[in-house]
Amino acid sequence: MMNSMNNVEFLKGLMNQNFKIVETDVIDQYQVSFVLKQADVLQALVTLRNAGWIQMSYLSAVDWPDENKIEVVYILMNWERPVHIQIRTKIDRNDPVMPTIIHIYPGAKYYERECHEFFGVKFPGNPDYQKQLILEMWDDMPPLRKDFDPKAYSDRKFTKREYNEDYLVLSDQNDKKAKREARKERAESLKGGQKI
Amino acid sequence: MKSTKFTEPRKLSKEEVDRKWWEIGDFFRRNSLWMLMYCTGCCAIELPPAMTSAYDMERLGMGPMATPRQADILLISGYLSVKSLRRVIYTYEQMSEPKYVVGLGSCPINGGIYHDSHAVINQLDQYIPVDTYVAGCMPNTESVMNGFVDLMEQIRDKTAKGWIKYKENNEWYKKNQKAALGEVIIHDEFHE
Repeated sequence: MMNSMNNVEFLKGLMNQNFKIVETDVIDQYQVSFVLKQADVLQALVTLRNAGWIQMSYLSAVDWPDENKIEVVYILMNWERPVHIQIRTKIDRNDPVMPTIIHIYPGAKYYERECHEFFGVKFPGNPDYQKQLILEMWDDMPPLRKDFDPKAYSDRKFTKREYNEDYLVLSDQNDKKAKREARKERAESLKGGQKI
Repeated sequence: MKSTKFTEPRKLSKEEVDRKWWEIGDFFRRNSLWMLMYCTGCCAIELPPAMTSAYDMERLGMGPMATPRQADILLISGYLSVKSLRRVIYTYEQMSEPKYVVGLGSCPINGGIYHDSHAVINQLDQYIPVDTYVAGCMPNTESVMNGFVDLMEQIRDKTAKGWIKYKENNEWYKKNQKAALGEVIIHDEFHE
């Protein structure tokens, strides 16, 4: 196995030679992140898989409501050259569509379903990306988008327990005030191990 | 010759006989409780010390049971997500009567730290009847044991009537379940 900085150099060379990289971020010697254009992503994944990044660790998304974008993140791992790669690409937030990658990494099938469920990203080509996976009978917007309000949803959906009186603050009762002051004074007087 | 020493015993009505048998049954039942543990929440970490030599649940006559059909207690430890509530209702309805439910921790009581989550229900007794709650986040093992003793006392005093309530107010429970879950029936691609 080569030493780890060589791995990063090798990876950067491989990517820059084949694709137009928008942004490269070397987080450390084991983690590198590339931001790509949406059109390059599939080709980049094929190239990386042929170069040894055979494990697809995770596929998820990040919501950026201010930019009106959703960022899809693919995380790949190579067991020969220990570098985690993040492939990131920003897509339109109102109609997020990303081609499926199950013909490159078959295990992505369930990640794509999860991503569709929680962020609303569509993956045409995956035969059942629209099926429910984790949430059952969900009737609202995708819950991991930033503008989803979980508290409002919970208030609407689930009964809350009502309490007749507020909780009791035992440390702040008025009738114990004199006692509290005395204790405080005593504690002050004992400071530094000196008795006054 | 008929003895004059004993008077004829009073003929008991059917209800009275039933009640006597129930009392005898309750005595044995409360000293031999089998518990099905639904450990999806973090409070489940308090059960190993309760079961093993530290607190030894066995000395109260309690033991773990692997199937709902033969269990007496359903122990809900910690938060319940909407998805697992469906499974809990299935499980609860499978249990043979009489059956008791213990809610562990503050999440089944009022949602606990998950009170504003989109995935976690807030009040378990809206959906299935709960006999004993053990409050705390998480409750320590003494209070878990104390909760079990409370349940045994409730069985003795005939106040652990959750399963009767569930039968009598079934419509109310079903209505609540529908409101929170949409549909209780599980549509699951791995089982269909």
